[in-house]
Order: sequence, then structure tokens, then C-alpha cells
Amino acid sequence: MPAAITNRFLDPAVLGEIAALDLIAKTVVEGFISGLHRSPDFGFSQEFAEYRAYTPGDDLRHVDWNVYARTEKAYLKRYRGETNTTLMVLLDASASMGFTSTAISKFDYAKYLASALVYLAHLQRDSAGLIVFHDDVANFVRPSARQGQLMRLLHGIDNAQIGTRTDYRRPFFELQQFLRRRGITVLISDFFEDPERIVETVEPLRFRGNELVLFHILDRRELEPKLGEPVLLRDMETGDALEVSPDYAHNEYRQKMNAHIENLRQKAQGAGLDYFLLPTDRPLDAGLREYFTVRKGRL
Amino acid sequence: MGFLSPWFLAGIAAIGLPLYVHLLRQYERTPQPFSSLMFFERRVQSSVKHRRLRYLMLLALRLALLVLLALAFANPFVNRTSAATHRRKLTVIALDRSFSMREGSRMTQAKAEAHRILSGLGGREPVQVVALDANIENLTPPEADHTVASAAIDSVESNDRASSFGEFTRALRVLDQSSGMRLDAHLISDMQQSSMPPNFRDLQLGPHTTLTLHSVGKRNEPNWAVNTVTTSAHVYDPKTTRLTTTVAGWQTGAATRNVTLVLDGKTLASKQVSVPANGRAEVQFTAFDVPYGSHRGEVRLAPADALPQDDVFPFSVERSDPSRLLFLYSGNRPQQVFYYKSAMDSAPDSGLIVQPLSLDQAGNVDFSKYAYVVLNDPGELDKSLAQSLCNYISHGGAALIAVGPNTVRAGRVPLSGDHIGGTHQIQGVGFVDAQHPAVVGTGRFENVQFSEAAWLTPKPDARVIAKLANGSPLLVEERMGEGRELIFASTLDNSTNDLPLHTSFVAFVVQSGHYLAGLEDVASSVTVGTPVTLRHSKDQSTAANVVGPDGKRALSLSEATKALTFDLTQNGFYDVQRANGHRALIAAHTDRRESDLTTAPAENLELWRNTGVTAAGNQNAAQETGEQQTRPWSLWRYALGVVLLAVLVESIFASRYLKEERQTA
Repeated sequence: MPAAITNRFLDPAVLGEIAALDLIAKTVVEGFISGLHRSPDFGFSQEFAEYRAYTPGDDLRHVDWNVYARTEKAYLKRYRGETNTTLMVLLDASASMGFTSTAISKFDYAKYLASALVYLAHLQRDSAGLIVFHDDVANFVRPSARQGQLMRLLHGIDNAQIGTRTDYRRPFFELQQFLRRRGITVLISDFFEDPERIVETVEPLRFRGNELVLFHILDRRELEPKLGEPVLLRDMETGDALEVSPDYAHNEYRQKMNAHIENLRQKAQGAGLDYFLLPTDRPLDAGLREYFTVRKGRL
Repeated sequence: MGFLSPWFLAGIAAIGLPLYVHLLRQYERTPQPFSSLMFFERRVQSSVKHRRLRYLMLLALRLALLVLLALAFANPFVNRTSAATHRRKLTVIALDRSFSMREGSRMTQAKAEAHRILSGLGGREPVQVVALDANIENLTPPEADHTVASAAIDSVESNDRASSFGEFTRALRVLDQSSGMRLDAHLISDMQQSSMPPNFRDLQLGPHTTLTLHSVGKRNEPNWAVNTVTTSAHVYDPKTTRLTTTVAGWQTGAATRNVTLVLDGKTLASKQVSVPANGRAEVQFTAFDVPYGSHRGEVRLAPADALPQDDVFPFSVERSDPSRLLFLYSGNRPQQVFYYKSAMDSAPDSGLIVQPLSLDQAGNVDFSKYAYVVLNDPGELDKSLAQSLCNYISHGGAALIAVGPNTVRAGRVPLSGDHIGGTHQIQGVGFVDAQHPAVVGTGRFENVQFSEAAWLTPKPDARVIAKLANGSPLLVEERMGEGRELIFASTLDNSTNDLPLHTSFVAFVVQSGHYLAGLEDVASSVTVGTPVTLRHSKDQSTAANVVGPDGKRALSLSEATKALTFDLTQNGFYDVQRANGHRALIAAHTDRRESDLTTAPAENLELWRNTGVTAAGNQNAAQETGEQQTRPWSLWRYALGVVLLAVLVESIFASRYLKEERQTA
């Protein structure tokens, strides 16, 4: 793909016009991969890393027989990223994710992100799984690296429907039943919940050796609401209505929202979780590139 | 405050529309979905959310807009105090400069009084000086500079015109209405009784005018004058000359006066006459010699009195041979002239001699030698003859055209070209314009029958002098250049009518003859102010000329070529040369009403003064004392102006709110 095109970040609205989710994922991933030299954490590629002396019990399939023929010593050939990681994507399908002020909703944006991640895992031959949840688990695709897994995941993401309220406890309880292997868990949500409660709920995954990443999806109007007059707002999850004045929305709401984001960021980092805010008006590939750049630097 | 059209106030009910839009629509407002309300708090405005008016300012503007619109249509008014009490004061100083002010030192006294009034005014108080005679002349505009007014007062000189208080009052009424000021008028005059109008209503002052009368001269000063002079302006036979003059005295006792007839400065005769107290006496001079030509005559009264100018009465007289008129008849029928010539010859001092001539012999005639031409049933004229006659008439000549059977057959009136529609059978006369000089004194042609008369179709600008009983024109006057022609719808003999058999025929022949010859308007003396006709059309080909009593040309070059008339403004002799070349010596005398120095009764003057605003208190005095005289003052224009302003502001606010709504959406 020409550099001129790959260097141009993809507008979420442009992605919204692409019907096929696999094509969206491919477009996004190729877009940001072309800007990265290497993905250290997701690297399960066949790229050679080092030799290690054979010890009893090692799999003989990894012995480099050519070296043994020359040196009569057995060495195992190691490859970069050969960690056999499992990627589990948790997609929040609560009603609040249906909010939008632009061409695509938060849920659409979250779908694109999930698709991009599972596609990336597929490229690196990692096993990947999916849980779509709201107040219950709406869909579960068991992690696997088998052929056809990508299509199953994309199909699951594509068919995900907006549900009702968000409840992290139940889906995470079920998730713990399946995550027996060390892996990476990505939670995509708008996190309209008490940060402490969120972290308390997802933190147990971290103790099992999992790496947990929180992608916080918010609409620009949720971050900076603009009201020209007092309006009556209805909560998309609870159905409650409330009249809101422009002054409040402009001042106090923004303060509270910023405090919520900061609180969540601190709580997550305190618990060893990765936190990354993605407003829906931000190009997805640019967001992913930034995230991976930050992550690489931290490693 | 009230409303001239209160039913339009029902339109205020339309304010329900914006109230519905702004207030009631709030109940139908749909909530906007939002992802989560966890960061919002319930505020006070929530409890009153459905009652809160949206866009309070916009609503107020729209309500005001509708209310003001209804008010504008309802035509509100307020009762406003009459502006009279708030008007600025304008002092009007009027000086009588009529002929009577020549008596003694009246004019000097009048100027002194005017200066006294002027000096009594405030420093910058506006003042206007006017001069009064038969007309009103504004000598200054409303002027705060009193030096200008003072100079105007000094410039006033008495003239030979009569004064008219009616005209002065009319001018004050106009000024009262047009100036918007409160008039404080001062009339300085000798207050002649003769200056009062015949109808007292003509002395009604305006509602904002205060009149103060300043009388100068002695009351009821006695005066003698030559009141009238009656003589013929044309003398054809010196043996028949006769002049009758009247000597009058006002406020005088019985006395004997000496009356002298002077011609060109030469005394012709002198007579003593006894005049009774406050009366008049008549004196006749007969068979005095008048040489050929125009002469300046005077009748003088001796001894002179305090007003000597009216002791001399100018008159003009001209001696000449009688003028000839050409009577053209058709064919070989000279008897046609019989009746016309007989009638003209029967009138003493007609000054006209009839010269008959056949149309066949008129080809080489110089018509300019004749006073006028009579065409009796000429039929269709030879073209060259018609052209000659037209040229003659256009240059100041005249013609009397009698339309008989020959002319009816031709279908058109010769020279004028008027269409002839046929003939009438046996008609009497239905209408005669008795004021027309051509038929003055002829009566109404009673019992005259026209067995055959032409059906004339005169030009639109023609003047119909007489009509037949069926309304068809009988005698029509039409203009051609500087000349004129009379068209008679029948013949001047007894072939088609019996007019020559009636006595009115003589009067008709003489009067119409004098009119066509230009002798009808010649008087021995006319009153100052009489207009003199200089030309009948605005044709500038020939200039007129007037030399006044002072021996100077009275017309500017522009007036000499354009003016139709000229007013005789001075007592004395005017040498007038009209545009048609006719010369005349015209004598002008002052209006002898000015010679009557009798003062108007004090009660009449007081009544006149009371028609305006007085301090004594009448219906108008209420205004001066501040009593409320109110009048409705309509406010709809102002309401409409505020409506337009409200529309403008509403547009600005609505645009701003719409912009915010778009941003919110």
C-alpha cells in the first residue's frame, strides 16, 4: 500500500461506510502496522530470536538438527514472541454504547476496535476469543487459533446487538471460568460505572497472569457536551429523565467527567491495568498506533 | 388617550400564537437520549421545566410586535393641548400706503408709529413688515433683525391705489395658518370707512391673531375732489363734444368751487359751482374744441385742499375721422348692405362708416385701412382673397362673417374653416351672453325669428355669445392671431331672418362694430389698478410698449414681448402701444373712494379687532390664558415605527437562537 495512503489516518466515519467488518479490521491493522517496526507483545511470528541448550523434557521438534550435525550438541531454536498468548476481547454492548453524535456510535467504534485486535492476533497466529456482554453475556466465542477462528470472531462481533444495562461482574465471572491460560484480556467499554467498582471487578484477571487492557470509548459529546438551552435528557440505560442546564453541562459535568476519567486511569494503573481513552472522533488506526507505541516504550 | 378604530384591538388576541409556540409546546418536548446521567444532578430548573418560557426575550418581542401592530391599526390618539399657547409670537406691522395716506402728514405719522411699535419689541423678537393697499406686499420676511424692518418701514411711500381691509384680513388669515406662529398684528392706517369690505365676514381674523389698530390723521377730515368725468374718448365732430364732471365734498360744508377744463395744459373753460354741504354738484362743458389726435385732458378743482391730488381728474380724448369698415357681399346684390349701413348710420357718434364692396372686386383691396371687414354670406372665398383676409385678421384685424345659404352650401365657414352641419328652420334666440362687449345693450333679441340659420360647429376654444332656442350657436367669437372674428349663423339682411326689422339690430350692429373696431374698451379715464390688454396671445413676434405718467418705459424687454396685460398703477396718462400695433392714450385716476376720508365707526373697528384673540376674553382668549383646547393627535405612525423596530430586533434574536439550536443539534 502506498505510503501516502497509509500515513493518512482513517476517519471513523470512513470506516463506518465499509460494510464488511473483516475489511475494516484489515484496513485498520494494515494502516497502523505499516507505521510500526514491530509489535513486541503480540509477536508470535516465526522470526528467530536465540538458541537455547537442550534440556531433558524439551520438545524434540524444536531441536535444530543442523546445528547438532555440525556440533553434535543439541540446541533448541527460539523465536520472538513465541509465548502462545491468548487474546480475549470483552465487548461492552450495553445501551449506553449506542450513543452517538456523529456518523458512528460508540458501539460501532468498539466493534471496529475489537475487529482490528482479533485480526491482529490472527496475523500473529495467536488464539483469540470474544465475549459480548451487557448485563449478561450475550455471546461467547471460545479462544482458539484454529483455522476459521477469525471468521467466527468477526461474525460474533458483527452480530453483536445493543443490550440493556452494563454489569461487569457476571461476564467477568464467566470469563474467569475459561481463562486458564496466560493471555491478554481487552475490555472495550464506556465505563459509566464507579471506577473503583470497575477495577475491583476486573482486577482478579490480573492476578491470574493475565494482562488486562481497558479501552475507554467515549463520544465527543460525552466529553464536552454543548447545550444551547436547558434540555431534557433521558438515560439510555435506566430510562430516567433529567433537565440539564447549559451552564451545568458546560462546567460541572465536564469537571466530573474529567475526574471520572482520571480516577479510572489512576485506579487502573494502580492495579497494573493498561488504560487507554479513545474518543470516537479519533482515527482508530492512529489511536492503536499511539497505544502500541506507548506500550512498547513501557516494555 | 383613545382609539379611533378600537375594533382592531381584537387583534391582540393573536398573542396566543407565540404563547403557544413558546409555552405550550414545552409540554410536547421530547427528551434527548444520553448515554448516562451519572454525572448530572437534578437542579431547580427541573422542577419548573415545563413552565419555563423558552426564549423569554424572543417571546417578549413577539408579543410586543403583535400588540403594537394591533395598536397601530386601532389608531391610538392622545388629546393634545392646542399649539396656540405654545406658538412663538410674530409681530406684523402693516402700513397703509393707499392714496388717502397722502393727506397731510399721515404717512409720516404712520412711519413714526411703526418705529414706536418696533422699538417696543424684544431684541430678537421676529417681526414682519407689510404694506397695505389694494393688495398686500410683504416688505420683509419674518425677521429677527429689527434694522431690516426699520429700513422697510422707512421705504414705504403712499401710492395711488385704494386700500382694502378685507384683503389685509385675508392675508393675515393665510399667515396665521401657514406660519405656525401667534400673530400680533399692528395696522397703522387712517381707518377709512371706504376701506371696509361690504361683507363683515371678510374681516374674520385667524384664531391665533391679535389685531391692534393704530389710527393716524384726524378723524373725518373734510375733502373735496373731482369725483367723476364723463366724456367720449373719441371725438368725431367738435360741435358735439360734451364733458360732464361731478364735484364731491365729504365732511364738507356748503361752498362754491371753481372747476376748470384743461386740455394739453391749455385751459378751455372754467365754471363756478355751488356744492351743498357734504354733497356733490355736476358741471358740464360742451362744444369745446378738440384738435385732431390724442390729447391729455384734466378737470381741475380750486381752491386746493389738504389732499390736492384728487382735485385733478385726468382724462384722454382723441379726435379723428370716423373709421371705415368694408362690407363685402356676394354676387350682384348690393342691397344686402342696406340694413347694416342704415343701422350704423343711425347711431350718433358711432365712429364707423360702412363701405360696401362686391367680393368680386375685393381681390386687390388693402384691408388694413379698414377697422374691420363684414362678409355677408360670402360662400366659398377665392383662395388669394381668403389668404389676404387671414393675414389681415392675424395682424390685429377683425371680421364679421354672416353665414347664409351660399356659405351653407360651401359646407365651411370661410377663414375660420368651421364645419357647417346644415340649417335650422324657424328658430328664436335662446341665450345671449349679455356680458360680452359685442352684444352689450342689445337685449335678448326678443321676438326675433330666424327662418334659416346655419348649424355651426365652432372650435373648442371659441366663445359662443348667443344661441338659438335649440342650443345651436348663433353668434360665435373666434381668435386668429392678434385679431378676432365674429361668426353669425344667419345673414345681415332680412333674407333669412327678421332681425333687421327689430330695434335690437341697431344696437347689435353698433356694439359688435365697436367691438370689432377696438372702440368698445376705450374709456376717457380708468381707475388706477385697471389691467390693460397688451396682446391676446403669447406670440412674441411683436413687442408692446407702455410709457408711464413719469415718462419712463413701464415694461421690461421681457414683459414687452410676453406680458398679456399691464396694470395701471399711477394716477396720470399712459401711452400704450399694443402688440397688434394699436396705440392708445389712457388716463388713469385714483379710486375716488379714497377721497372720502371719513373714518370707520369705532364700534366697527372694535368688532373687527374682536374677531381675533383679545385680552378681554372671548372664545379665543381661553387659549391665551392657557385653558385647554385639545385636539386628537394620532399616534399610529409612531406605533408602526416601533413595530418595525421590534421586527428588526426580533429578527436578530431569532437568528441568534436558531444558530444556537443548530449548534445544539
